[in-house]
Amino acid sequence: MKISVTVNGTLYEREVEPRTLLVYFLREALGLTGTHVGCDTSSCGVCVVVLDGDRAVKSCTMFAAMADGHDITTVEGLVQGGKLHPLQQAFWDCHGLQCGYCTPGMLMTSYALLKHQPNPDEPAIREALAGNLCRCTGYQNIVKAVQQAAAETNAPAPEPVAT
Amino acid sequence: MNLQYSGHEEIPAGREVVWAFINEPRNVAGCMPDVLESTVVDAHTFDAVVQVAVGPVRGKFKFHVVLDPQSGGDRMNMKISGGGLGSVVDLTAGSDIAAAPGGGTTLDWKATATMRGPVAAIGGRVIDAQAKRIITTTFENVKTRLTASPPPVAAG
Amino acid sequence: MSTTAEPTPDKYSLGQSMKRKEDPRFIRGAGNFLDDIVLPGMLWLSIVHSPYPHARLVKIDKTAALAVPGVVAVLTGEDLAAHNLAWIPTFHGYDKQMILAVGKVLFQYQEVAGVIATSREIAQDAAELVDVEYEPLDPVVNPFQSREDKIILRDDRENKTNHIYHWEVGKRDATDAAIAASDVSIKERVVFQRCHPAPLEPCGIVADMDAATGRLTLYLTSQAPHAHRTVVSLVTGIPEDKIHVISPDLGGGFGNKVPVYPGYVVAAAASVVIGVPVKWIETRTENLTTTGFARDYHMDVEIGATKDGKVTALKVTTVADHGAFDAAADPTKYPAGLFGIVTGSYDFANAFTELDAYFTNKAPGGVAYRCSFRVTEASFAIERGMEILARKLNMDPAELRLKNFVKKEQFPYPSPLGFVYDSGDYHLTLRKALDMIGYDELRKEQAEKRKRGELMGIGISTFTEAVGAGPSKHFDIMGIKMFDSAEIRVHPTGSAILRAGTKSQGQGHETTWAQIAADELGLDPQNIMVEEGDTDTAPYGLGTYASRSTPVAGGAIAMAARKIREKARKIAAHLLEASVDDIEWENHAFHAKGLPGKAITMQEIAFAAYTNPAPDSEPGLEATFYYDPPNLTFPYGAYIAVVDVDPETGFVKVRRFLAIDDCGTVINPMIVEGQIHGGLTEGFAIAFMQEIAFDESGNNLNTNFTEYLVPTSLETPHWETSSTCTPSPHHPIGAKGVGESPNVGSPAAFVNAVMDALAPLGVTHIDMPLTREKVWRACREASTA
Repeated sequence: MKISVTVNGTLYEREVEPRTLLVYFLREALGLTGTHVGCDTSSCGVCVVVLDGDRAVKSCTMFAAMADGHDITTVEGLVQGGKLHPLQQAFWDCHGLQCGYCTPGMLMTSYALLKHQPNPDEPAIREALAGNLCRCTGYQNIVKAVQQAAAETNAPAPEPVAT
Repeated sequence: MNLQYSGHEEIPAGREVVWAFINEPRNVAGCMPDVLESTVVDAHTFDAVVQVAVGPVRGKFKFHVVLDPQSGGDRMNMKISGGGLGSVVDLTAGSDIAAAPGGGTTLDWKATATMRGPVAAIGGRVIDAQAKRIITTTFENVKTRLTASPPPVAAG
Repeated sequence: MSTTAEPTPDKYSLGQSMKRKEDPRFIRGAGNFLDDIVLPGMLWLSIVHSPYPHARLVKIDKTAALAVPGVVAVLTGEDLAAHNLAWIPTFHGYDKQMILAVGKVLFQYQEVAGVIATSREIAQDAAELVDVEYEPLDPVVNPFQSREDKIILRDDRENKTNHIYHWEVGKRDATDAAIAASDVSIKERVVFQRCHPAPLEPCGIVADMDAATGRLTLYLTSQAPHAHRTVVSLVTGIPEDKIHVISPDLGGGFGNKVPVYPGYVVAAAASVVIGVPVKWIETRTENLTTTGFARDYHMDVEIGATKDGKVTALKVTTVADHGAFDAAADPTKYPAGLFGIVTGSYDFANAFTELDAYFTNKAPGGVAYRCSFRVTEASFAIERGMEILARKLNMDPAELRLKNFVKKEQFPYPSPLGFVYDSGDYHLTLRKALDMIGYDELRKEQAEKRKRGELMGIGISTFTEAVGAGPSKHFDIMGIKMFDSAEIRVHPTGSAILRAGTKSQGQGHETTWAQIAADELGLDPQNIMVEEGDTDTAPYGLGTYASRSTPVAGGAIAMAARKIREKARKIAAHLLEASVDDIEWENHAFHAKGLPGKAITMQEIAFAAYTNPAPDSEPGLEATFYYDPPNLTFPYGAYIAVVDVDPETGFVKVRRFLAIDDCGTVINPMIVEGQIHGGLTEGFAIAFMQEIAFDESGNNLNTNFTEYLVPTSLETPHWETSSTCTPSPHHPIGAKGVGESPNVGSPAAFVNAVMDALAPLGVTHIDMPLTREKVWRACREASTA
């Protein structure tokens, strides 16, 4: 079947099998390998992408066909104008990653969180990230990074709360 | 993982009627829930493809069913083996068949299910209810079928 | 050429929290992990697994699978046997393991057949159509059943017994006598359950046989690429120069990516036979059920002491469950790894430990999961034992430890089980921990709460590790000595490339290796590119596991840099027109005696090495060093956990956790802290939620992440960390390694804390994982007793 999906601002029209998962469509049809696969049960969150600008979804739990007509943001879409997104910068600054395998999912979940809650406290961040597993960091520096990114994003020109 | 079940059914039909019914593979296959297709192999054996949905284990299981009627006509043993999707299920069931006062028949049944593979890993909390449903429904359906429509073989 | 001395800024020196050099690609999603590798014409492998833990293989019918369009081949054990690949030797060479089952299956999920097809989906669909007929056999599901030898599992072996080996060290009679003669003694069975490293990236391979060149390239999730190249060569007979192993970015390893797995061998064999690339990526279920389990030690711990709390003797008797094959990842001469570290941080006059290992119908493995070869099991045993002894003596567990620690002045300390501990100040580190956490106040709070019937516990673990295998006189794997290596090549403009025999899986080698070299050479670490994991370019090394990278390869980097510095000294003498003997290295630059203010930087030397070499030396500036460490290193720490237990629900709240680590010289404090956070989280998971459990029929009950739990951000406690520093006297930069300390030391702290909380109920020990159900049951049984 034919689908049209906007990924990171580019419209793609592609033929897909009905059973193709969104994550394999992104990785194999579009070559966007930043989105990873880590389990068979939608438990780990390394596949998280953002749907329609502000919804974190596990792309292993969606068929590509379900993304037809929608807008997807992946980790590759975070850099704007050659500049790292504040979340990317903060993950780097705060040592919020080690092996880097969960990082794209962590970034995209955090991205969606900040769209809804520009200034989340630690419990809110921990709750938002509860569907993203990390085996390396123990989460503490990831939480710190999200807080730094929130502060950075809010400081110059606070974004309106989109709820 | 071994699971054990037992149950009791009272059927408003004579013992011979019930006995004849459960000796026919086609009838027993018709009583198992979620059967997609069945093939009678011989007088006591049939193969069935069953739709299974247990947590993340979803798909078709193939079962080989052997009926083992005991002489005397008061006990039927049944051995079901098969599986699919990397899992194996072995089920042995046995039922005592006795005439009940008032012309009916009682089935007192016991079953043991052994699970191996992903289906076992899902754990008792899901499997137990599923296996129980399949076995219980099969015996319930024997009753339903013999109650709802006149038996194909006339009593006496 | 010479300028005024401009020493490398401090921020580039050892001990600085430099941001990681590898991060820019990962935060952009531009890492290159194994599944990202796609080659033209590549085929996919999917594996058929046994649902039975123990069964005779009657028949494999490939017909239906082969009929699926897109299926290229279906391989079985018989097919591999034709190429002599049905079995391969295990890690240390004492046993062999099946690649695809021949004759029998010996554990549930064992690999039975491989389907090669044009896509992942076709391979998976067709794998379900491979019809395998089994004749089930009774399974052996624990080592105690196994040792009865009623069912012999391995009929391929000469000795018809399930017993694999007996190992012992120490003085049995003296230890037994000392325990018998002691005023007070304890004996407890503590089980370190079977668990799994479960890195988020599963294992995988792309095998690419190039018929034109005759070279086999293996892109492999490998913590030890060189060792794997050698193994492949030995097993297949392919000359080692025709094998190229590339270990790309690894999404975690924790020991899981040390062994050779059947999927690797089948994919490689298929590529060799078919002549096109073949990819195999594990599913999570395959990862948890077939590869790299850890621990599974049942340990009887006995300690004797005087009535005032001086320990006199330690005896630990272990029964080990090794699964279907003896594939435990341990150095050849150490079948039970470094379990001899079981005397821990304490000065025992007498000690003895013995171990018997058995086959069972479970997956093979016994990898060192974030652990230096069984050090975790040993640390858990002694730290639980000390806690139980403290309670029996009615003595504060901190006081008992302080009374029995090896003293600072005893180092280098020869332990009764054969190690020589390099350095430490255990009293200082524990006292710092007690002070920082406010131990006395916490004990007062606990006393108050106990009066009110509330369950609060404080748990201490003061562990010592033995890491950095290791000295070649003791340590080898299949004969290959456990040295490691580094090669540094300084470019004319003063930047450099550094290659090492190790392989980072998230530890940050691209940063820390550059920092070591930068500090030794006075170069900017930002301009030292670190490359690992490519056997065509990196010098031969044994890889990254067992906390060996910094102790061994870290030493090699410092030594290679010092070789370069010696050559640079000659060039400096040439440029300064001074005698080599008068050239001094100070503030990261060369100075000539008597010429204050004049200095030559390494950058200038590098340029001269290519443009104006000294008359008596060869041009260029590079060095390779193979470092054979003189001893292991012995990092240690003092950890304290504070918990509240709700007896109504069994919920354990880890209120505080403080980790004081002493890993000697610290290369990058930020990275060390990150390693500790991660290791504590894994220790927390093992203590409270993780186990690969089996039912009585041999079913694996924890086959995916809904059953094998990884803690999320919600459960994971906040970690408090600090350090003390006693450098290793024998390591070139005094570093000891740290990555595994928190995973080794923390489980006992958690369990000790929970048992301390449950002490008023009379509960002495519960085996991990301390799930809510187990804690609730213990509380309930105690209250109804």
